[in-house]
Formats: sequence, C-alpha cells, structure tokens
Amino acid sequence: MEFPRLLALLLILLEWTRPGLPSPLRPICDLRVLNHFIKEARDAEVAMKSCREGCSLSESVTVPQTRVELDVWEKKNALEQAQEVQTGLWLLKPALSLLQTSVTNTALLSHIDNSIRNLLSISAVLRSLNIQEFTPPASAAGLEGTWTVSSSTDLLQVHVNFLRGKVRLLLLDAQACQQDVS
Amino acid sequence: MKCNHPSRFGTLYVIFCAMLASSIVQGARYFEKKVLLDPPANVTISRPGHQGQLYVSWMPPPLKYMDDSMIYEVSYATADSHRWQVDVAKASSKTILRGLQQSTNYKVRVRVKLDGISYNGFWSAWSDPVYMETLPAELDLLIVSLTLIISFILIVVSLTILLYHRRFLAKKIWPNIPTPDRKFQGLFTVYGGDFEEWLGQSNGGFRLTRGFFNSEECTSPLEVLSELSLCPSLPSPPLPPKASRALTTGAKHNMDVKKRLERRETAEMVDSAGTEGWRAPPHDHWLMDCLRALQQDTIPSSQSSILESQDAYVTLSANNCSNNEHLDDILEEASPLEALFASRKTVSSGSHSDLGSVQQSSGSGRLSSQSSFEYPNHTWMPRGPAEFTYMAVADSGVSMDYSPMSRADDIGKMVIYAHDYKNDIPAQVRPFLLSQHPFHDVDS
Repeated sequence: MEFPRLLALLLILLEWTRPGLPSPLRPICDLRVLNHFIKEARDAEVAMKSCREGCSLSESVTVPQTRVELDVWEKKNALEQAQEVQTGLWLLKPALSLLQTSVTNTALLSHIDNSIRNLLSISAVLRSLNIQEFTPPASAAGLEGTWTVSSSTDLLQVHVNFLRGKVRLLLLDAQACQQDVS
Repeated sequence: MKCNHPSRFGTLYVIFCAMLASSIVQGARYFEKKVLLDPPANVTISRPGHQGQLYVSWMPPPLKYMDDSMIYEVSYATADSHRWQVDVAKASSKTILRGLQQSTNYKVRVRVKLDGISYNGFWSAWSDPVYMETLPAELDLLIVSLTLIISFILIVVSLTILLYHRRFLAKKIWPNIPTPDRKFQGLFTVYGGDFEEWLGQSNGGFRLTRGFFNSEECTSPLEVLSELSLCPSLPSPPLPPKASRALTTGAKHNMDVKKRLERRETAEMVDSAGTEGWRAPPHDHWLMDCLRALQQDTIPSSQSSILESQDAYVTLSANNCSNNEHLDDILEEASPLEALFASRKTVSSGSHSDLGSVQQSSGSGRLSSQSSFEYPNHTWMPRGPAEFTYMAVADSGVSMDYSPMSRADDIGKMVIYAHDYKNDIPAQVRPFLLSQHPFHDVDS
C-alpha cells in the first residue's frame, strides 16, 4: 500500500511549503493566567509591607488610577477600554523598573522581577485577544486618569489593583473570548 | 434607597446596598476585599443513573464580574444524622456527590465565598437543605452474567476431566477387589464355598482344565516311557494306557462301573497284545482314547480323561507284568486303593473321598499326594520297586513338582503339597505310604 504513504508525504510537504501568514496566536481567555499574575503581585505587596529598610522608591512615578465605576466602565466601548488598559500598562512598566533599581532587599527584588515579567506577559495576552497595539503618547504628564505615587507600597498596591480591576474587566469582556463562550 | 454601583478598587470607604445583598464593609481600605455574599439559591438535586451518586446544582449569587471568583462548599448528610460531610470547595456551580449509601435520604446544602484573588470575603450562610433519596441497590447485570459464564465453564472443564479419568477415578473410589469366583465357576454361587463338593460335582473346573490336561498330558506318555524301566517283560507304555483306561474317581460308584469296564478292556488288551508289541499299539490306543475323551462330554469320560491325563504323569512303580489277576482284582475294585491292594488283599481305607484315594493310591508308587484334582489311579499297581514317580498336579492353583523319587527311602524326601482346600494328608495315611515299600518288596 504505497499510495497512502505517498499521500501523507505529499501533505507534509505542502504544509511546509504553504505560503502565508503565521497562524494567529490562540486567544488566552482563561482568567487563571491573570489570576496567577495577580497572586504574584499580591505576594510582592505583602513582602513590601514586611520590608523595613532598603525598599523605598527613589522618586515619584506616574501611575494609572485604579478606581473603576462599573456603570461608567460599561458605557465605554471596547476601544476606549483597551486604550485605558494599555496606557496604564505603559505607565507601570517604567515605574516598576525604577523600583527595581531603588530596592536593595533581595527578597523583594525577586518579587519585583516577577512583577515586571508578568507585565510583559499580560501584554502578550492582550495581543492574543486582538486588542490593538498601544501607541504611546508624547509624554506621560497630563494624561487623564493618572496620578503620582512616591512610596513603594503605594506603587505595588496600584499595580495589584490595576490588574484586579481594569485589566480583568477588559479580559472578561474581550470579544475574542466572548465568541468562544456560547 | 437607590443603590448605585459602588466604586471599586479604590480607596473609598463605601457601604454596599442591596446589590451585594448583605455585604458589609468591615472597615477595610479596600471593600472589595471583604465581601459577604448571599447563599446560593435554587439548589437542585437529581439522581444520575449510577448507584450511590447525587447530582447537585445551584445558582450562584448574581454578581457581575464576580462569577469566576466564587468558590462553593457543598455539605451533605443523611436525613436523620447531624454529621455533615463537606465536599471539596470548587468554582463551578454544580457537582456530583459520590460514595453515598443506597436507598438513603440525604440532605444537601451549599455556601459561597469569593476566592480571594480578585475579590475576597467571608463564607456566606448555608443555603436551605434540600432532600433527596438515593437509588436502591440493584444487581449488576454484568457481574451476574460473568458469574454464570465462569461457573458454566468450570463445570464443563471439571466434567471433561472426570470423563477422561473415569476409569482411574472409579478404581480409586471403588477399588477392584479380586475374588476367586471367576476362576472357580459355581464354587461360591452353588456350593457356597464348599470346595470338596465343587470338585466332586462340578465339571466346570475340569472342563476348564480339561483341554489343559489333555493337551499336555496326551503327550506325556513320552515322558513316561523314558523313565520306566522296571519290568522288561511288560513295558511301561502299557501302564499309562491301562491306567488311563482303568480309572476310578473313587467318588462315585456308577462311574467306577464304567471304569471297570474300561479297565477290563485294557486288561484284555494288555493280555492280548502281548509284551513286545505293546509299546506302540498301547501308546496309540492310549492316544486315541485321549482323543475320544476329548470328544466325549460326559462326566465320567471327562473325569476319566482327566484321570488318564493324570495318570500319564504317574509311573507305576508296581510291577504289573506278573499278575493279570491282580489287574482283574484291581479293576473290579470300586476304589482305586482297593484295586491297588487287591492283590494283597488289603483293604483300602482311604477310598471314601477323592482326597483319600489320592493319598492312598500313592502307596503304590510312593506318589506324593497332590491337589484334589488328582485322582488316584487304581491301576497304579505294584509292579516292583518303585523307582520313579511322577506326580502331576493338574490343579489350577497348586504347583507341580516333577521330582523323581528313586528309592523308597526317599519317601522322607517326598514333598507333599497340601492344597488349600481341605486337602491335607491324614496322619494315618502317611504311615500307610511308608508302609507301601514292604509291600512292594513283598510283591517283587
């Protein structure tokens, strides 16, 4: 029975030589991924609370606001929601990097490293959900829905609340995930 | 009061209203961390098809964006006990309880809590218990059918083994007890074990062995010829024929009458044939008689034939060449012993039974008494010093001894074979035997 073998070989070759875009990322709709990030952010917050020395922020940073009013949130369209989340993530990344350089406590540093990696992973998750890429504005100052913090505890708290709030709501309502769930 | 959506994820200290039911701000900075929910509603229980299982489902509290943050605890117990068992807390709003007893009434209740990742709070109150009875026990069809099939297979295999080893097993369980009944036909059934009677009456034994006797002992004259050398005048060949002719069973007189006739014939033959030519013709005549005996199916003839055959092994030590009158006397005697001692006018005493005759007849030739089959040959007439004596044992069970006995003083060396059945030589006969010698001497 040579014919099936030849056919299988032919199909394999065609698959390799098939021209086209790489297959799109599978949408990560499982919120457990985000829950994992949230847990690690909470662990960092707890570690920061028990830190006495060498865990202060060197300078003030601009962070997004974390308060969410559901009725206001629901009135926004998906694009605005996505914009708001992306802006917040864009602001948090340099803030955590600054905290990483400011903190000398080794235990806390490991948590901060985790948090920075998780932020990058969240960006990848958003990409998988076909949420549009963020175009950074010219400057951080004067952006709506932002405020400045000067303590490391506040920074980490904002970080956690941002993940728990806006990011989570965005993922819950993601269009790509809505189609999967019937 | 109007209940607006509360602010979340902020630092506001807000009191929730009906939307979160009985949620109470516990003075925490982030209220979303301290949420107390209503217990789950619409707890429904159903019975799946399996034994000892219950399917429980409920409605989670209707809070938006918190559905996936809730965890539940299911608690169940039998209707009459108060020991609640708690099922593992899980995030889905349905579960299956396993390991329940059959035909038992169970009560189930549920409570809810936020999982604490995005939202945190306290366990809600237990829902109202719902009752349901589990399915009753039933026979598993598969197990029953498998049991039947396996037992059937085992029965078939065991029966096959039993049939193959039927004989072996039968021998083990009912061992074959050997009985002599087969060899002695009629001994136990007719005569009740009386061997003497059976010997005398039944011819089955004889018939059984007649062929044996005749076949062998018809040829015995040759043996006899080679041994006898007592009476040159009267060669030994005539003896066996004569002996064969003149037979007495010693048991029945009517048979003896016939034998007397036969003896007379032989005596006449002996007388008429003469000395020289008797070797061959008597021998032939004897052989013919053997054949005749074979053909005849009467008791006397058979007996006579048997006796003939027996006599073939027996050599007459007594000297018969001299006295024909002795022959006549002997022939006319009823018992063989009487015939033997007719010339000497001795009275035989052992002629009553076959055994006795056997024993007494051996006096003529110092024949060792043998089995009951053996009949005395009344024609063992004294013919001189007994030199060779052959005693044939025509018995199915008794061994035969062909030991030649040269002298009378060899009597002591005689081997007496006592048969198992009442065939002992009476003590009075032995001296009788021993006393034969002087008689012979007298005669010779």
